[in-house]
Amino acid sequence: MSNEALLIAMLGLPFAGSVAAALFPANARNREAWLAGAVALAVQGLAWWVYPEMAHAQVLRLDLAWLPALGLNFTIRLDGFAWMFAILVSGIGFLVVLYARYYMSPADPVPRFFAFFLAFMGSMLGVVLSGNLIQLVFFWELTSLFSFLLIGYWHHNAAARDGARMALIVTSAGGLCLFAGALLLGRIAGSYDLDVVLRSGDAVRSHALYLPALLLVLAGTLTKSAQFPFHFWLPQAMAAPTPVSAYLHSAAMVKLGVFLMARLWPVLAGTDAWMWTVGMAGLVTLVLGAYLAIFQHDLKGLLAYSTVSHLGLITVLLGLNTPLGVVAAVFHTLNHATFKASLFMAAGIIDHETGTRDIRRLSGLYRYLPVTATLAMVAAAAMAGVPLLNGFLSKEMFFAEALEAEGPVRAIDRALPFIATAWGMFSVAYSVRFIHGVFFGPPPAGLPRIPQEPPRWMRFPIEFLVLACLAVGAFPALTIGPFLDIGVRSLLGAQAPAYSLAVWHGFTTPFVMSLLALAGGAALYALLFRYLARGEERTPLLPKIDARLIFDRILVVVSWRWARSVETLFGTRRLQPQLRWLVLAALVAGVVPVWRRGLDPGPLPWSSIDPGLAAAWAIGAVCALGAAWQAKFHRFAALMLAGGAGLVVCLTFMRMAAPDLALTQLLVEIVTTVLLLLGLRWLPKRIPFAWTSAGARAALPRRLRDLALAGSCGLGVAALAYAVMTRPLPETISSYFMENAWSRGGGTNVVNVIIVDFRGFDTLGEISVLAVVSIAVYALLRRFRPARESLETPPRPQDADDDLLVPAVIMRLMFPMAGMLAGYLLLRGHNLPGGGFAAGLVLALAVILQYMAGGTRWAEERLAIRPSRWMGAGLLLAGATGAGAWAFAHPFLTSHTAHLHLPVLGELHLPSALLFDLGIFSLVVGATGLILIVLAHQSVRHPWN
Amino acid sequence: MSWSEHLPIVPVVLPLAAGALMLVLDERRSTLKAAISIATLLLLLVAALALLRLADNPVAPVYALGDWPAPFGIVLVADRLAAAMVLLAAVLGLAAMVFSLARWHRAGPRFHSLLQFLLMGLNGAFLTGDLFNLFVFFELLLAASYGLALHGSGTGRVRSSLHYIVINLGASLLFLIGVSLIYGVAGTLNLAHLAQRIPQIAAADRALVEAGAAVLFIAFLVKAGMWPLGFWLPSTYAAASAPAGALFAILSKVGFYAVLRIWLLLFGGGVGSELLFYGGMATLAFGMIGMLASQELGRLAGYSLLVSSGTLLAAISRSDGAVTAAALFYLVASTLGIAALFLLIELVQRSREPGADVLAVTAEAFGLADAEEEQPEEQSGTEIPAVMALLGLSFVCCALLVAGLPPLPGFLAKFGLLAAVLAPEPIPARAWALLALLTLAGLAAVIAMGRAGVRIFWAAEERSVPRVRLIEITPIAGLLALCFALAVAPGPAMRYLHDAALALHAPHGYIESVLGRP
Amino acid sequence: MELIVALLIGTLAGSGVWLLLRPRTFQVIVGLSLLSYAVNLFIFVMGWVRGGRPPFVEPGAVVDFARFADPLPQALVLTAIVISFATTALLLVVLVVARGLTGTDHVDGQEPDA
Repeated sequence: MSNEALLIAMLGLPFAGSVAAALFPANARNREAWLAGAVALAVQGLAWWVYPEMAHAQVLRLDLAWLPALGLNFTIRLDGFAWMFAILVSGIGFLVVLYARYYMSPADPVPRFFAFFLAFMGSMLGVVLSGNLIQLVFFWELTSLFSFLLIGYWHHNAAARDGARMALIVTSAGGLCLFAGALLLGRIAGSYDLDVVLRSGDAVRSHALYLPALLLVLAGTLTKSAQFPFHFWLPQAMAAPTPVSAYLHSAAMVKLGVFLMARLWPVLAGTDAWMWTVGMAGLVTLVLGAYLAIFQHDLKGLLAYSTVSHLGLITVLLGLNTPLGVVAAVFHTLNHATFKASLFMAAGIIDHETGTRDIRRLSGLYRYLPVTATLAMVAAAAMAGVPLLNGFLSKEMFFAEALEAEGPVRAIDRALPFIATAWGMFSVAYSVRFIHGVFFGPPPAGLPRIPQEPPRWMRFPIEFLVLACLAVGAFPALTIGPFLDIGVRSLLGAQAPAYSLAVWHGFTTPFVMSLLALAGGAALYALLFRYLARGEERTPLLPKIDARLIFDRILVVVSWRWARSVETLFGTRRLQPQLRWLVLAALVAGVVPVWRRGLDPGPLPWSSIDPGLAAAWAIGAVCALGAAWQAKFHRFAALMLAGGAGLVVCLTFMRMAAPDLALTQLLVEIVTTVLLLLGLRWLPKRIPFAWTSAGARAALPRRLRDLALAGSCGLGVAALAYAVMTRPLPETISSYFMENAWSRGGGTNVVNVIIVDFRGFDTLGEISVLAVVSIAVYALLRRFRPARESLETPPRPQDADDDLLVPAVIMRLMFPMAGMLAGYLLLRGHNLPGGGFAAGLVLALAVILQYMAGGTRWAEERLAIRPSRWMGAGLLLAGATGAGAWAFAHPFLTSHTAHLHLPVLGELHLPSALLFDLGIFSLVVGATGLILIVLAHQSVRHPWN
Repeated sequence: MSWSEHLPIVPVVLPLAAGALMLVLDERRSTLKAAISIATLLLLLVAALALLRLADNPVAPVYALGDWPAPFGIVLVADRLAAAMVLLAAVLGLAAMVFSLARWHRAGPRFHSLLQFLLMGLNGAFLTGDLFNLFVFFELLLAASYGLALHGSGTGRVRSSLHYIVINLGASLLFLIGVSLIYGVAGTLNLAHLAQRIPQIAAADRALVEAGAAVLFIAFLVKAGMWPLGFWLPSTYAAASAPAGALFAILSKVGFYAVLRIWLLLFGGGVGSELLFYGGMATLAFGMIGMLASQELGRLAGYSLLVSSGTLLAAISRSDGAVTAAALFYLVASTLGIAALFLLIELVQRSREPGADVLAVTAEAFGLADAEEEQPEEQSGTEIPAVMALLGLSFVCCALLVAGLPPLPGFLAKFGLLAAVLAPEPIPARAWALLALLTLAGLAAVIAMGRAGVRIFWAAEERSVPRVRLIEITPIAGLLALCFALAVAPGPAMRYLHDAALALHAPHGYIESVLGRP
Repeated sequence: MELIVALLIGTLAGSGVWLLLRPRTFQVIVGLSLLSYAVNLFIFVMGWVRGGRPPFVEPGAVVDFARFADPLPQALVLTAIVISFATTALLLVVLVVARGLTGTDHVDGQEPDA
């Protein structure tokens, strides 16, 4: 098999398996286990396949284009160190699967478990096999995700949920920092490719960004490896099913941190900053974890803290800046994985068999579980670092390193051996407690059930691992030697130091330290025996700091309380403040450029004042102000005043050479007023009241502010308008329209030609808007029932036309006339003021006038118009007219003119634009009519209650 | 002219025809309408894809409406970016449509027409090369969005729509002032023509143009939801019906699109970059806070939209091709993801408070709802197995997208963005700020979405499996599948968007394809 | 003359903004229509030509452009009028319905003190 295929398979198999596992039925425990086991074994086998290459320190590499635009490839890279981890991950993975097969109860929905498990294994391998930093982060975050899902597997109990969430938040926060760190590293090294990065260690360490990069990366690794001060999530994660704990917290998840620190050791290590951060974090964790472990009453809790402590050990070793330290770290990584996995499984068995994990309730289990007990004892001995077991060897290395350490501070170097010995004692103490507390002493009382040995194959993984502990401990050079060598050499390359894996180095200081640790540990346990037997829930000599509580509190305060108050402080759900912001923003936007560039009135002189118009404008201004003044209490008056302002605008258009605008504005004016009149009655009556002085004073600042805003906006707009008006018109594109309106547009009314031809597309959109709006209105009002009391006042629907004061008869007579007028406007529109829109409005008005005249019922009995049909037809007609041009291989909306003679109207030009205008007409009638009718129709509705 | 030359107009005319046709059709023939809608959207998808291929070359296809030459007539310019946006809109439209077929399209009259007109407005806004025409299509899509925001009615919707409408009417008036001011000084409306003229404007008049443009941009930024102009967004989107919400995911991107295009085209990305940067950062921060602070999923999704808007604005303020490219990639990814989230939320809520169906609110508001608007009998829903698992999976995917975490493309987009932002030597302070804020935002998203997810999928005391119909889960799955595709093979999309971004930063290409070589 | 028009526009805009910021829906809608008057005038005067004639051309005659008012802004105003008319109508209906559903005509759908 080619190496490329092999690499892909190694990475792909677990994910493929995960998908497959998810599809099995809920009760397929065996099939799931077979599948997962097969996948794990396959990966393991693939790893062994390339053993020769690894032994010759080759690096297998496969590059697939991923984001070429950003120079990012998907690179699978397998070197010795990665290979070692792949063996570990897949090997322990297999054993855990085997164990889980028996551990999980038939009731558990296993597909989810194994799917997540395999996906997690895949993500682990993904990190390990990553050939570039970004890809590494990619899989790193995936491990966070899947560990979250695994820890929360039993989500029905709250502890699992909380533990999972905490793990997720802590580790993915770290992951995000790591992402940033990776970005910086890649930037320094000039590439995200791991080979390049590993080569450019000196450049990195000397770069100005070294420190930020280092801290960000460490934020990732230390959180993942549960190092102080991020250690608190790991014990919480013990709520996970034991197989998960056995995997995540021995071989997998938590080893990622140390993996990456080791991986980047040649790049980042060797500086004081490294030693301070990594070394210190490790040292504190090492002692703290071991000390806390002694006083745990939950078996898994004890193992969890011991895990924290052993990870601290590995971290310290990496932080010592010596190649030998790295060797010891890698070695201990392997050893810890073996004995810790087996211990977790043993704890699981005990839990499984006795129904409790509380050491205070357990004792004397040896008589029930002799085999498991023996296995657990050996593993625990390894954890304690008893000679002839693997734990002993790496511990010796650590002691040796502790003696040689040369840090920036002599005091710490001197203290290190003692700290190390103390740690050794603690580890011995909790290991002894694990064994003695559980397996010895009087037979247990009040256990839920009588424990008995687990099935053969449930024990097998433990047996295997314990055997490994023994073998490695007895014949290190033969068993673990080659692997360690492969890992270390690929990691350190030329830096790789000479080291010996002999069991017996003679009667050396480290050996003495070990003996001290063993004796002291045993003594410590004896000393603490009574205290522990009392089973108090607290740790002596330490203030009762519960990191988890602190974390939760901070989380709630920051991410909830503060967030809410900040949101309410910097945001709002009320409309007025939002509008204020909008107005203010617009004001600023208008002012700033003027302020920055300066703006003077243009050169042109004022044109002569037309007194009549000027007077009209004055009236308009007064109307506007009046409307603003009256709108609160005297709606009708305000409406009339606003209408007055509208009429002035319309007059302006009239006098300022814009008859089309005048006409349209007038019609729209009327329709809008009618609408508002129809709508007005549904609003609650407001009784004017005199401001209480207090209320006035309270409201004053707000009103002043609004007044200022309004005033300055008015001034601003006026200034802009004035500035433009006093400037000569720029050379605009309009000249083209003037020249071609007749010759190519077939109309003399340039505005109308623009509307229906030059910029017909605008009009198409505009009428669509009209259609959409009327749909929306219809949808809203169709089933809407007005509130009851708004019907009582004012009572009858007709009072709207009392307001208009137009006799009904005249209105009825107006209908046919209006129709004719509409037709006339429509036809002449292209050449004289008018056009489809005006015509449509006229007809719609005529319709609504009928409503007002005869009342809704009368009208609806007589004229049955289907507004939406009109609208659809209109739109289709307009669209079809536009599309017609396609037939002549012209673009959409290309117009074509036909000239013909009619008896009444005389010589008439029928441009296709006229059809378009017809469409507009039909749509406007439909839309406006619809809006007016549904609104008027409200009056015959009965209030719903 | 050959048919392919007509292609740019198709994304506008097709929805128009469909929408109008369905107006003529009788109200009750919902199956026929559904068929028409689906067919139209599929055609639209095909057209968009064709347009994409057509646009993917140096000279953008230009369509002169009414055969009037630019700059006098209105032109459509289907450059890479426009085509990509059209495609995105079509995809979202299809997803929302299919989703609505389960029940929503019967929750009120003329849903299909509204949807078609919304698409017409979107496509027109994306394609047009004329400033005032842009206004018209903005109004069209806004009007349609008003209709959709009100779709299903009910107190909450009406209340939030009232705010939405008032604010956007104000924004439209600003739009008009801006456009007319620019015309009054530059004497033209054609974007390419403006791009030619604005640099030559006399210093005495520059203030006017810039004031006009600034006011114009306020109008755009309101739509993009920039702080402090975007408070309406979460409430409105949360209140809107699920399909509407999904479509609105791209609505807020229209504002961003307009900013990007016009800013780069008319002002070469120079003046005003501070505004965009600080505004974007503020939006990002506010959105992130809001995500944490919102209990209701709908608001959470709305705020995540603000986060993406803020990210985009802050990113493009660098006016650097590589950053813009990554930003566009981010835009696509986050739009797809948030749209899926909006669809998903409705199903999830359905599982949480059974019976509290929004249609119930409709009935309450409308009094006795008639048969056609009856709340669809729940039993009809073909319950898919392990529905909760599916919903949960989709939720996780959406969360990852929103948080910009792997394996979904949000991560790659963030990578591209940050890598490009951090490139210059020394790293500018703004880059650091963006890096920090994006990291925080990611964390905030993890916390917020994690909280919500745990509450919904894990801590639900009495789990009532929601009746979800296949037709509802399919569009969500489709959108997420697209995202996965983008993550696995981002190469082509990235390449395309990269070219699009570079073209944006070198406007002469655009100008030449519209006005021809000088 | 120019100054007076400018002032008229300013007054319309100012009153409109003032009403826009008021708490009652009716005030807001009147404010919006005042604002749209202002904006329409504003667009219109962007094509300000002193003593320009209405833009009607005689068939075949050679036009000298300076004698006519600028037709394009007029066309734009037409479109703007229609659109603002439509949206005003929608807003009106929405606020009527809002009043019906919430029982108040406050823009937030609830009385400030409530």
